[in-house]
Amino acid sequence: MTITTPTTPTTPGGLPERTAAPLGRLLAAEVRWVFRRPRTLITLGLFALIPILIAIGVVVADEGGPGLIGAVAGNGLVLPIASLTVALTLLLPLAVAMAAADAIAGEAAHGTLRGLLLAPVSRLRLVGVKAFGVLVVALAAALVIAVIGVIAGMVVVGDADGQMVTLSGTTLGFGAGIARVALVAIWVVGQLAAVGAVALAVSSLTEHPLVVLASVLGGLIAFGVLGAIPALDWLGPWLLTSGWSAGADALRDPIDLSGLGSSTLRALCYVAIGLGFTVWRMQRRDA
Amino acid sequence: MTALDVREALPVTVTAARATGLRKVYGRTVAVEGIDLEVPTGSVLGMLGPNGSGKTTLIRMLLGLTRPTAGAAELLGARVPDAVASALPHVGALVEGPGFHPFLSGRENLRRAAAAEPLLASERIPAAVGEALDRVGLGHAADRRYRGYSLGMKQRLGLAGALLVPRRLVVLDEPTNGLDPAGTRDVRTIIGELHAAGSTVIVSSHLLAEVEATCTHVAVLQSGSLIAAGELGGLLDAGTSGLVVTTPDVESALVAVRGAGATAVPDTGAEPGIVVTGGPAAPEIVALLVRAGVAVHEARRRRPRLEELFAQLTEGQ
Repeated sequence: MTITTPTTPTTPGGLPERTAAPLGRLLAAEVRWVFRRPRTLITLGLFALIPILIAIGVVVADEGGPGLIGAVAGNGLVLPIASLTVALTLLLPLAVAMAAADAIAGEAAHGTLRGLLLAPVSRLRLVGVKAFGVLVVALAAALVIAVIGVIAGMVVVGDADGQMVTLSGTTLGFGAGIARVALVAIWVVGQLAAVGAVALAVSSLTEHPLVVLASVLGGLIAFGVLGAIPALDWLGPWLLTSGWSAGADALRDPIDLSGLGSSTLRALCYVAIGLGFTVWRMQRRDA
Repeated sequence: MTALDVREALPVTVTAARATGLRKVYGRTVAVEGIDLEVPTGSVLGMLGPNGSGKTTLIRMLLGLTRPTAGAAELLGARVPDAVASALPHVGALVEGPGFHPFLSGRENLRRAAAAEPLLASERIPAAVGEALDRVGLGHAADRRYRGYSLGMKQRLGLAGALLVPRRLVVLDEPTNGLDPAGTRDVRTIIGELHAAGSTVIVSSHLLAEVEATCTHVAVLQSGSLIAAGELGGLLDAGTSGLVVTTPDVESALVAVRGAGATAVPDTGAEPGIVVTGGPAAPEIVALLVRAGVAVHEARRRRPRLEELFAQLTEGQ
């Protein structure tokens, strides 16, 4: 209780006075905060189980059924791609929505959003920092599934030559197989960025994180239903989820990039709209 | 103290914060109704008012957290909210209670807040956080999770967050909420230190004794309107003052004074005596009493306590 406080900070030869903290420091603090959150770590741990469980299931069943998971049998490098595709339907979007819910609505609920704005972190920059944090979560989740998938595929399913048998019946070498896995992982992150941007937009509207989760979950289910109604075929190109089966295209030889490309383009549109709305809303939000 | 320079610092203005016709309406509720207020640089302004009188809304508008429905605000010479970013690095605030993450320790929470402070050099952050924690008496609990903090400890951590950087203006909204007497005393000490160092302090509180002990200026709000503002001493002098006469002859003193047209009541204090308000000036009353044969042991002017003034102002007499 004995520290005296000068009215103005003075030390000769310092930096010119700043009105914003360095961006790198803010981003680092955000990432540290994201990964200190117990639920982030638990979620990532659970994601690591997905490829392991699928691998065990395939080995126990010991026969190739139809579809992507059936193709995993005796074909280790297909496992990470199958795992990513399965997780993309619900679990990965949920994890990203959770991160986005905590990013703005959660901070508002804890009263910490006020602290950040008073520091000050400008409202535009805040959206950038928050979007970065959500993207890091999406990246980490996809990476966990891909890496554990490759390892589990090699160890549990195994393949004598470490090769990938494509859906077209040809075989790829280990390096080419890994490249296909990486491609799918990056594509998944792109789709998750779209979910994250929309979730951030919802997050900027509320201070109840649950509202964000419910909206994203409800939205995914609604998209799924709309996509399944034949009379609403024309709606297909507008629905984010309609391109989510394109992951399997990476397993064709030669690779079919049209589905991956168009769904990525669609995801970028969702990102632009979601982030645009978040910025617009945060400029006006009371904190 | 920090590795920073004042070459491009904001010019020091005479007024640390200014509200001009500030008005805020939520739906049909008028939270703040046309407030004009100037907070002189270097002053300690106590903001008083019953619950729901608009204190917090006024503070939030001054800090740019809420957009006013009408009117303008200025913080350290910068227009709010458009140019508030240039002023906020010099402003420490504890508004609407402390806001921290339960899964982080006090120290980690403060480090996160410090990372966003523009005036704090990166290498200074650990030291600044440690100093702020010690200053509010939380050094011993710094590495415990915020989840386990008591109400008072949370409040102290919020105060530490406002003191991470040497500030020109510190805004404390109900800083003594949930604090024990020692904590209240610590807050008073900190406000005194800030004042001595030349910082301006705006503190809203319902502990009138605290305000009276620490503030140089007072603003009283009721139902969203400013009903009194100014220097504490001036406001108290303007209030109903009186003359306290200590005497064993209470009855004859009352008769003598009332005969001269003054209002007098028996003093309810420890010693027998009367309290005289209105009527002739003090020397005449003393002379009158002496002539009437009343033994005057002591006569002194009485300034009303802030509590009485506040009651007079807010209860509409």
